[in-house]
Parts: sequence; C-alpha cells; structure tokens
Amino acid sequence: MSDDDDDEYVEPATVAASESEIISMARALTAPQALDVWGLLAGSRSMPGNIGPTCAELVGDALDQVWPALWRRDAGRPGAAIRAGKAVRGRGWERNPITPLEYSKFTIALLRWLVEMPLATPGAVDKLKVVPHTIGDQIVSYLALDVAAETPAQLTIARSSQIARAPLAWLGFAHVLPGEPPDSFDSLVTGPGAVAVEALQRDLAHKWRTVELTKRAVTDPDVLIAIGAAQDATLTRFMDACTNAGRRDLAGFVIDAMLPLLGREVAPFPNDLDRTKPLSSRMAARNAAGALLRALACWVEWDRSHRGVRFLDDDYEASQLLLSRFEKALHHGADVLSAAWLAELASLSPTTPSPASATIDGEPP
Amino acid sequence: MSRAIQVRVSESVVRTVHVEDGVQSPLEILPVLAPDRMAELLAKELEAQGFKRDGKLATRKDPDGVEITVDLEAATVSVKLGSDSDLETRAAEETRGQAEHRLRDAAIDELEQRLAAKTEALRREVTQKLEKKVADLRTELDQAIGRATVEALTERAQQLGKIEEIAKDEAGNVTIKVKL
Repeated sequence: MSDDDDDEYVEPATVAASESEIISMARALTAPQALDVWGLLAGSRSMPGNIGPTCAELVGDALDQVWPALWRRDAGRPGAAIRAGKAVRGRGWERNPITPLEYSKFTIALLRWLVEMPLATPGAVDKLKVVPHTIGDQIVSYLALDVAAETPAQLTIARSSQIARAPLAWLGFAHVLPGEPPDSFDSLVTGPGAVAVEALQRDLAHKWRTVELTKRAVTDPDVLIAIGAAQDATLTRFMDACTNAGRRDLAGFVIDAMLPLLGREVAPFPNDLDRTKPLSSRMAARNAAGALLRALACWVEWDRSHRGVRFLDDDYEASQLLLSRFEKALHHGADVLSAAWLAELASLSPTTPSPASATIDGEPP
Repeated sequence: MSRAIQVRVSESVVRTVHVEDGVQSPLEILPVLAPDRMAELLAKELEAQGFKRDGKLATRKDPDGVEITVDLEAATVSVKLGSDSDLETRAAEETRGQAEHRLRDAAIDELEQRLAAKTEALRREVTQKLEKKVADLRTELDQAIGRATVEALTERAQQLGKIEEIAKDEAGNVTIKVKL
C-alpha cells in the first residue's frame, strides 16, 4: 500500500436528518455538555419507521462511551469494593473487567422517542410502550433522566415512558418517578449492574443529598409523602438486595449523601408545611421526610453487625472494609443523630428548629 | 307574540358531616426492665393521669373531645379529635334563558361547593384545636414516661443490691445509691 492510499479522502458517514438527531441524543447521554440537549428534548420531529445501518453503527459507537462516561462521574477515584467477601482495591476500571453492555430494542426506541416527542409540552407526548430489559437499557434510562435534569422534560420522560421499570432509574430519580419501584433490585447488585452502581456512587450521593435539601422547603404534605414513600421503597429494596448479594458497599452512597448534612447538623425537618392541611397529613409528611435518614439508620445497624464479625469468619475482610467505610459517619455522630432526628420527625409535637442554612457545598470525601 | 319567562330555582340541603384529624407517634421508653414490666409501670402512671386501662390499651377522653389512646405493647400514642355538625345551606339560581333542569343542576353544584367549603372550615377548626392539644400532651406523656423510668430504675437497683439513698434534684435527675 502506498502513502497516497493512506491519505485517501474518506467520505463522512451520511445519515438522514432524523437519524442525525438520534445519534446526537445518544451522544448527549454520555457528553451532555457538548450538545444542545434542551433543543433535542424540547423539539419534535417525525421519525421514519426504521433507522439505517449507518445510523445504527454510529449509535453503537456513542453507546460504547457509556462505561468511560460512568467512570468519569466517579472522577476516577481509587476505591474499594467487595467481591466474594474479599476487598478489591483500585480505580473502578481496575477493579472491574470491561464487560460489554447489552441493549435491547428499548434503547433505540427510547432515543427515537426522546427526539420525536416535544417533551417540553407533556400534553402532546405519546406514551412509550417498550420496556427496558437489560442493564444497558437501565443505564440509558438513568442517563436520559439525568440529561433532562432541571428541565420540565425530566418529569415528562419519567411519567410518559417505561423508564420506571428500570431499578437504576429509581436509584437515581425516585423523587420524580411515578408509582412503585420494582420489587427486585437484584440486577443492580451483581454483574454489570453492580459495576454501574459502583461507578455512580458519587453521582448518586450528590443526587440524594440535593433532593434531601429541596425536601426541606416543600410545603404541600402530599408531595412530601409521595416522595418519601418512593424513596423509602427504593432504598429498602435496594439495601435488602445488597445484603442478600453480600454487596453492602454498593449502598455506600447513602453515607456519602448524609456526611455533609451530619457534619453541619442539617436535619431533614420540613419546617414550612402548609398549616391549613390536616395534622395527620403533616405528621405523615414529616415521617416521610426521613427516608434517607432511615437508610442511614440501617447502616448503623449494619455497622453493629460488622463489629461482631471475627478474624476467623469468612466475611472478616468485607466487614473491615464496611467498618472503615462507615467510620467517618460515626465520627460525625450518625448513630446518635439519625436516632434523634427520626424521633423528632415522629414526635407528637415537633420542637427542634432546623438550622437556617440549607446549602451544602462540596462533594463527599 | 312571545313572553319572556323567568325561571327561578331554589335548593337547600341539611347534611350531618363528621370531620376528624389525628396523629400517631411512638413513645420513647428506655428498656430498663422487660417490655411487659415497663408497660405495667407506664400504665400505672397513666392511670394516675386519668387514663383507663383496657388490656394493652390505656385511653382517655378529655372534656374538649380529644381522645388519647396509648398502646402499651407497641409503645405508641394516638391522639384524635372529631366533630359532628349539621350544615345547612341554600342556593338559588335565576335565569330567563335556561331550562329548569340545567338551572337545578347548577344550584346543586353550588350547594355542594358551599358544603365542601364549610366542611373544610370545620376540619381546620378541629386541626387547630388538636395542634394546641398535642403540645401539652407531649409534655404530659414525657413526664409520665420519666416517672415510669425512675420506678423502673429503682426496681432494677433493688435487683442489684440494697438501695441506700435516692436523691432527686430540681432538674429531675435521679441518683440511686446501691450497696451491692
């Protein structure tokens, strides 16, 4: 082959305009800052029945970037995880072998739907009927909700698609999804699902803490009750799945979410509930506000059981890892504060005022 | 020659409504003794406060209508207040152009809205009364639980040895000296 052959001009791949937007949407999931995501979500376009092979290939290329995008969300931090009762250390991609993600027809259907529907106007949106099946689908669901964060499109995506069938979507966005979370979160505690949750620890902690802070300003008790029920069910089912799979480390984001709040004693007391609403509703709302706190209280219980694991026991190494994971929370008084705050939330007549500051900067350590 | 006909429809309703509000809260009882014994000691304190014991429940109905139920086994307290009221309201509609049945439907809708507003006002009144009550009740129950806890500690001390001295200060702290 001569040098002239190497320099030969390669025709860029050509796709239809509608396909181009599907490809842009797929790329936006992993690199939202590089594209006009709002333009893609708010606009609408009629789509052909099928996509061509070139478009399929380019969407595949975009989805190949999902793992790097997830690890970027973890900032490439060195960390530790549990495998078969033992601690494995290193950065995410060092701890986990590369596993290609599988996607079902849901992923393409979702990308098409995101481009096709004017998601800024919920009334004009047809429901997406295809349901997610694979971990790849679940990650795409999570990323789709994430790129639409802080826009009206997020609620439309949450309520008009079948994204609520994906446990990973609940783990990140329980506060916006309709209905009940799936019964089983097993897909997130083994195989590539567990790797995805490992990579999303920092992201999940940030999301849960943000919701925790916004909950304090909610005035309608019914809204808080709905959010709390969704969060409680999600965390309970996920943490049960973690215990059953021996992967309690995957619930570490609960600690990271709460650490800055514990450090500054920012309790989740909703102080602005509408006083014209029944006392029973306000009481239920106050209880609901403690969902993340109850998950932390679960960690306190776990911590006690980890202390009982002896050197000769099989899970000693894992227990030591989990003890060190929870140590900082204990140092911040997680055991005392979680019990006291939950008691205050359930109290007949709340007395403890919440600190005025509700802004927490910085990421979990 | 046509004549304008004025149609006037008047409807009234008297309805008995029941509104209720209530809360349930756990009681924080230190497990100094076995749960059964702690429940007994708390029941004794509550009886001194006018509660009537019926098995695992201690109940009291105050003159203001507030019902308090303490579940001694589950260590919870429920407080509720209900109110019954006969609400009466009237509505009249008048028109020259509509059929009578439409006018009557409009009058009935109006009545329902007025009744709903009156019921809501009644419910808010109940909620306000209840809210004032629970603040006092929390203090009362905390004190009863405190006394039951002191009793339990005294019993526990007797199990450990001979009580030599029980000292109580103004802040409510109790010191029990035991000779083992």
